[in-house]
Amino acid sequence: MASGEPSKYVTLVSGDGFEFVVLREATKVSPIISGMIDPRSGFAEARDARCVFQEIRQMMNNNFAVFFLTKPGSLFPSPVLDKVVEYFHYWYQYRDNDDVPDMDIPVEICLELLAAADYLGLDQATMNTRQWS
Amino acid sequence: MNGNDGTNDFLALVKSVTMLTADDKLSRNKIQSTRDEGEQESPEKSAQKEKALAKIKASKAFKKRKKDADEDSDFDDDEIARAIFNERHAPLPGQMENCEICDKRFTVTPYSVQGPNGGLLCAPCGRQIAKERQGEKPKKKAPRRQTAGIGSRRAAQSRLLDGSVGTLSLATLCVQTLAKNVELAESLGDLPEHLVDKIARIFSKRRLLGPDTLPLFLQPSTQTIRIYDGAKLGEQELISIFQIAPGLKHFKARCVVQFKDEVMDYVLSRDTKMESFYLHGANLLSEDKLHEFLRAQGSYLQNLQIYYTDKHVGDETIEFVREHCPNLKRLKIEHNQKLTDKGVKALANVTCLEHLGLQLEHSPSSPAIRKAVSGSGPNLKTLSLSIVPNADDSVLDAIHTTCRSLSKLRITESHLMTDDGFAALFTAWQNPPLTFIDLEKCRYVSAMQPRQNDGLVGLCSNGFKALMAHSGPRLRYLNVHACRNISREAFEEVFSGASSYPEMRRLKISFCEEVTDYVLSCIFRSCPNIKEVNVFGCMKVRDVRVPRGIILVGVPNAQGMITEGKH
Repeated sequence: MASGEPSKYVTLVSGDGFEFVVLREATKVSPIISGMIDPRSGFAEARDARCVFQEIRQMMNNNFAVFFLTKPGSLFPSPVLDKVVEYFHYWYQYRDNDDVPDMDIPVEICLELLAAADYLGLDQATMNTRQWS
Repeated sequence: MNGNDGTNDFLALVKSVTMLTADDKLSRNKIQSTRDEGEQESPEKSAQKEKALAKIKASKAFKKRKKDADEDSDFDDDEIARAIFNERHAPLPGQMENCEICDKRFTVTPYSVQGPNGGLLCAPCGRQIAKERQGEKPKKKAPRRQTAGIGSRRAAQSRLLDGSVGTLSLATLCVQTLAKNVELAESLGDLPEHLVDKIARIFSKRRLLGPDTLPLFLQPSTQTIRIYDGAKLGEQELISIFQIAPGLKHFKARCVVQFKDEVMDYVLSRDTKMESFYLHGANLLSEDKLHEFLRAQGSYLQNLQIYYTDKHVGDETIEFVREHCPNLKRLKIEHNQKLTDKGVKALANVTCLEHLGLQLEHSPSSPAIRKAVSGSGPNLKTLSLSIVPNADDSVLDAIHTTCRSLSKLRITESHLMTDDGFAALFTAWQNPPLTFIDLEKCRYVSAMQPRQNDGLVGLCSNGFKALMAHSGPRLRYLNVHACRNISREAFEEVFSGASSYPEMRRLKISFCEEVTDYVLSCIFRSCPNIKEVNVFGCMKVRDVRVPRGIILVGVPNAQGMITEGKH
């Protein structure tokens, strides 16, 4: 993977070990992820096309992000990262439409998801909504 | 084998008997076969039927039926077409027909009821079906979806005005969900401040901020509270803010009518050390109480913003500010009916100011503004003079000579400033490029000769060129709303592509008559990061293609902006 064409897909891993394989294009909406996996960056994430979000589960646990402090083998699946991935696809599907139905957000994880969205830069002001080269 | 022969004989007998009644049944079979889904139809017949069905699918009746059907259930196109086909080929009154339910033969009348599969029913079955149908409740229409059908364009335009196009951000979706389920939220946890602010804004927009939701934003550790619509908050709730959060540093409250003397009394009784105090619409608060507040706690204040106070902030208040607020950096007094030239002149003595904003009913005179600007001139970062019809070129000159660190400048509705004055301001100005310029409605107004502007009053071509030459590289926001004497040539020259404006985000050029499609396309080209352009009343904008990601508001046609391109 170190050389040649980067993979079309990216693996996102939640803090509790759930893996989500997402289209690379779809993750570009997040400036954070696209920065991590940019082949020019030389980060480990870019080499393996794999980002581990330990903190996204952590947010589930105690409502605020203690970054990089995670208990291995937690029982929590990661509904938050699941929703984030769903959003990536939602965004990718409708990126060229003007008239878009709103995505449903489960009320229970609303605040955690909001914190995750903020962490990933998925805010109107910071989102990559413009054309890129 | 023998037994088999016997049955064959019997079948032959039955066949011959049925032959006798064949004539009678022939016509019926014909109808039936065309009507039934028909596996045993001949190929040419089914081809004919296909043709007829295709014709029906293109007809108006089909579309109407389909629309009705879509609302309550999802028939597919074929079913609907077949139903119409069957109706059209139904026997005319007077003919014989077999009932769809009980198969009895009956005479078709104009009152024969249609059965569930499109065929006709005999009188008894018809009556029963009619009775059943009457018992059914009238079907409710499904609520209209926002994204399609009538009203979607309006919704889309409304979202455009909010500055969002296409998919909403995940954060916005979350905040909206939260706003829909306020009653379930107990606390917002430790969200970062900008997210809490975002939530507060949406809550206020939807009129959700009241006594029951205010606690969400209040914790003993809260240092900043921003209330964008406090109309539902009573005196007690406002007092509770200061009770719960004794360490409050930044207080911002809009539309807080109930912020009365009693609330201020409570604030004065506490040892709060507020750095920002922003009050909007609190016109029940008396001037004396405000002065008392300034005297007691003014020394901590860095920002003081008071809006819509009718007659309760006047010239004396400026004196109090000068005396008791030595650290004040930002002073904004807007929609004020009491402050006069005297107070504006007194601002010259408040030399620590970095941000000054005024919008006064007693519109200040040029000498007063000159004096005020000269006081804190070199330090001023923001100068906002809204609705100053009496300000003339001498004000611009004063800004030119004194201001050295300005980044935001607003002068609106001046009817005396001239093009030369603006050109002189922006030519060889030692101030670094500005990031925010608002010169809305700086234009010549005359009922007698509306088209002529011989004196070049207002911001015209030369001033505009000088402005862009000075501040263009750093400018993020430009408002030249209704500066209608800027020529097409000036626009074309400025946005010709010779220089690019990488910082430009929002551009308001409404009611600039000379803006054309070409000018707009030049703007899109030379401002690579532009997000929003306002073109209300630019009647020469006709058919411009907007690159995706840019919002063009106010296109003078019913269709609105047409987006082009892909992400």
